[in-house]
Amino acid sequence: MNCEVCQLKELEVEHFEIREVLRCILHTIVFHRALGLVRPKDVDLELFEITYVQCGDVELEKKIDEKIDHFISWVEKHPNKKSQICLSFYEVKSKQPSWFTNKTERLYWEQWYINLNVTQHPKHHSSKSHHTKLVVDPGESATEERSSRRAMVEASLREVLFQIIKFVNEKKDHVPPISEGVIYFPYEITIPSSSDSAFGMDMIKRMLHSGHPTMLS
Amino acid sequence: MASSHSNTHTEAAKLEQIITEFFYKSLLIILESRSPYVSSRNYSGEQIMSSPSSSSSSSSGVRPRDKWFNLALRECPSALENFDLCRQSNFEPVVIDVILEQKQLDWDPVTFSPKSDLVKHSSSKDKNSFFWNSDQEESGCEAKGEKVIERWFVQHESRKGRDCSSGSRRSSSNNLSALYKKLILLLRSLYVTVRLLPAYKIFRDLNSSGQIRAFKLVPRVSSSVESFTQKEEAEMQRFWFTPVDTSCGRLCLSVLYRSSISDISSESSTPMSPQFIPDYVGSPLTDPLRRFPSLPVSQGSPSSLPFSRRHSWSFDRYKASPPSVSFSPSPTHSESHALVSNPSSRRAPPMSLPPHPPGASLPHKKNTNFDEYWPSPNFSASPSPSPSPSPSPSPPIRIPGGHLSKALLRSESAPVNIPVRKLAGSPALSCKQNLPPSPPLKISRADISWTDNNMGPMKSGATIEKLFSFGKGDGQKYSGVNSPRTSFFRSSSRSIQDDFDDSEVPCPFDVEYDDMDPGSRPESYDRRGNPSDPNEAGLFMNRKSQDAAVGALVQMLKKAPPLRQDIPSSINFSEASRPEMWNNNIQEQNQNTEAVTVEHDASSIITSSRLVASMTTADALEELRSYKEMKNLLLSEGDM
Repeated sequence: MNCEVCQLKELEVEHFEIREVLRCILHTIVFHRALGLVRPKDVDLELFEITYVQCGDVELEKKIDEKIDHFISWVEKHPNKKSQICLSFYEVKSKQPSWFTNKTERLYWEQWYINLNVTQHPKHHSSKSHHTKLVVDPGESATEERSSRRAMVEASLREVLFQIIKFVNEKKDHVPPISEGVIYFPYEITIPSSSDSAFGMDMIKRMLHSGHPTMLS
Repeated sequence: MASSHSNTHTEAAKLEQIITEFFYKSLLIILESRSPYVSSRNYSGEQIMSSPSSSSSSSSGVRPRDKWFNLALRECPSALENFDLCRQSNFEPVVIDVILEQKQLDWDPVTFSPKSDLVKHSSSKDKNSFFWNSDQEESGCEAKGEKVIERWFVQHESRKGRDCSSGSRRSSSNNLSALYKKLILLLRSLYVTVRLLPAYKIFRDLNSSGQIRAFKLVPRVSSSVESFTQKEEAEMQRFWFTPVDTSCGRLCLSVLYRSSISDISSESSTPMSPQFIPDYVGSPLTDPLRRFPSLPVSQGSPSSLPFSRRHSWSFDRYKASPPSVSFSPSPTHSESHALVSNPSSRRAPPMSLPPHPPGASLPHKKNTNFDEYWPSPNFSASPSPSPSPSPSPSPPIRIPGGHLSKALLRSESAPVNIPVRKLAGSPALSCKQNLPPSPPLKISRADISWTDNNMGPMKSGATIEKLFSFGKGDGQKYSGVNSPRTSFFRSSSRSIQDDFDDSEVPCPFDVEYDDMDPGSRPESYDRRGNPSDPNEAGLFMNRKSQDAAVGALVQMLKKAPPLRQDIPSSINFSEASRPEMWNNNIQEQNQNTEAVTVEHDASSIITSSRLVASMTTADALEELRSYKEMKNLLLSEGDM
C-alpha cells in the first residue's frame, strides 16, 4: 500500500485566522476519512463565507482543537515563519518485535501537508507580499485592502478545500478497508516542533516506521 | 453451481441495491442542501446532540436508511418522493436543476420544493425517461424570472454489451466492499462540495435570514432537460467527481454551476433594510413647536439665541407661579398663558405645551400678538417657521417665584414683552402702555410667520441681545418714555446674567421676576435666594387688578408672623408691597420714582428691622406708623 501524500496549496493567513483555517482544513480531511457512521455537522466559518463539515465526533473535535492550540503557541514563538502541519493516517500493524522497533507499527498510508504562511500582526513589519501589509491607520484604503485580502484568503481556502476533494476523489484505492465500529482512521497531527531540525527528525522517523519513501505528489 | 448462481444473484442484487441507494443518497444530499426549510441544517442542534457513533447501539437517531454509506442525514421529503418514483427506473440518469426563481405575487409555496406530477414520456434518446415536473404551473416558465444556477447529473453508465447479472460473477464481496467504500468517499466529497458551491450561500441565506427575499431556490428533478446554450454553458463551470467503477458500468456524478450567483441574488433580492425616517409625523422637523424634553435646545435656534434658548427649558422656575397669568388677553393665548402660570403645565414636556402663551385673562389685547409667539428655539431658528399648530413657541415660560420680571424678560423675542406687559398688567395696564413697537417684538396676530417681523434666528437673536444691551445701557434713558419695557430689559439684562449663573435656569424663556423693578433690584437679589415665600410670587402672578393685589397684600399682612420676629414680617410686607410697586411702576411712569421711593423705604425698613435684635415699644410704634403710611399710600395709589 502506498502512502499517498498531498501537499496542499500554501495559505497566507494572519494570526487570528489560523484557528478557523486549520479547523476547516483538518475537519474536511478527517470527514473524508471518517468512513464510519457519522452524522455530519455543518459549521459556518465566521471569518469567511465558507461552510465546512465535521464528522460530529466530539472527541475528535477536541483533539484537533488541542493541536491547533499547540500550533498557535508555536507560531507565537516563531513568528514570520512558514510552517507546515502534517495530518497523517496510518494503520496499526503488529510487527515482530526487534531491537529497534516496537511491537506495533504505524503504517502511514496517507499524509496531508497543510502549508501555512502566518503573516505578522499588522503593527509589525512584514516582508511578505503586499497582501499582508496592512495599514495601521484607519481609512477607507485600509479597509478595502483588508477586505480584498480577506477575499483572497477565502478564495485560497476554497481552492485548498477543492484540492482536498479532488485528491479524495482521485485516489481511493490506497484507503484501507473500513473496520467495524471505527468511525475514522487513526490519525496523527504533527506540528512543527521547537526547532526545524526536530521537525525533520520526525519526518525521518515516520519514514522509518512506514518503510516507504515519501512520495511527493 | 446453484450456490454460485445464488451468490451471483445475491451479488447482483446487492450491487443493484447499492447503486439504487447511491442514487437516493446523492439526491438526498443535493436536495437537502438546496431546498430551504427542509434541510438537515435546520436540525443541526439535534445533530450535535445525537452522534451516530454514540447512538449506533440504540439506533434511535439513525434510521436504517441513514446507515447507507454511513451517512446519517435528515430525511428530505422531496428527495424521497422523487426517489420513490425513480426506483422504477433502471438507473436512469437523474438531472437536478437548482433554479433561482423570482418570487411572484401569486407564489405558491407548494412550488417551493419539487413536488411531483409524474409525466412519463420518451425522449429522443433510447432510454426511457421520467420527467418529474416539480410544479406543473411552472412548466414552460423558464423564461419567467428563472435561472438555472446548478445542474447536477447523477447517472450510471452501463458498459455496453454487458449486463450486471453476467458481470456479477466477478463481483465478489471484496469488490462490493471496495465499491461501497469508494461510494462512501464519493458521497463524502459530494456532501462537502455542495456546501462549497455558490448556490449554497443563497440556500443558507434563505434558510437563516429573516429578510424577505424576492427569489427562491427551486430544485427540480428530472430525467432529461434541455441542454444549455453555448453562451449559458460558457458562463458555467463544471466539476466532475471521479466516476466509480462498478461491475457493469460506472457511477458518474458531475455538476454544472454558475460561479457568479451573488450578482443574480443581490439583484433579485429586496431586503428590507432599516431606514431612518427623518420627517415622520410628529418629528421636530415637521413640528417645530413640539419639543422633546431630552433636547436641551431645538435645532438651530439656540446658537443664535443663546440667552433666550437657555431659559426655554427651565421648568422649575414656574413652580410657584399662579395658575393664571394674564400675559395675553388674546383668547388664543390662553393655553400658553396657562402654561406660563401653571407650573405643572409648564413642567409638561414641550410636546404638551399649548400652542399659545398663557394668560388670556388680561384685558388689553393690543400686544397679544406677542403672546402668540412665545419664543421657541425653532421659531427663532428658522426664518419662516410658521409654527404649525400655533403661533406660540413651545418652550414654556418659566416664571419662578419672585422672578417675575426675569421670567417675563426671558422670552427674548416678542413674547418677552408680553409677560412684562401683562404683569404690569393688570387691567390698568392698558395697551397704550405697551411696549413700543420695535421691529423684533412687534408681531401682529395675523402675522404668524416670524419672517414678517424679521424674526429670523439671527435677527431675533441680535434683537434680543440688542435688547439686553439696550436694557443695560439705555434702560435708564428710556425709563421715562418706555420705562416699562426698558426697565424690564435693564433688569432682565442683569437677571439674565444671574440666570446664567444659576444652573437651574437653562430656559431662555425663564422669566425672572426678581428684577422687575430696577430700584428694587438689590433687594430682589438679596431676597432672590430666599424661597421663603413662594406664595408671594404666586400672589404676584395672580393679581389681575389693583384691588386684587391690595387684597392679597392685606391677607399677607394678616398672616404675617408676629412682630416679635419682625424681620420676617417686615420682609413679607416689603415683599408684598413690591408687586404693587412694580405694577405701579409699570402703570405710571411718573410713579416710578415713588415706587422706587417706596421700595427704598421698604428696603430700609427691612434692613432696619433685621438689625434690631429686640423691639422696644417705641420701635414698634414707629414701625406700625410706617406700616400705616405704606398702607395708605398703596390704597391711595389704588384708587387712582
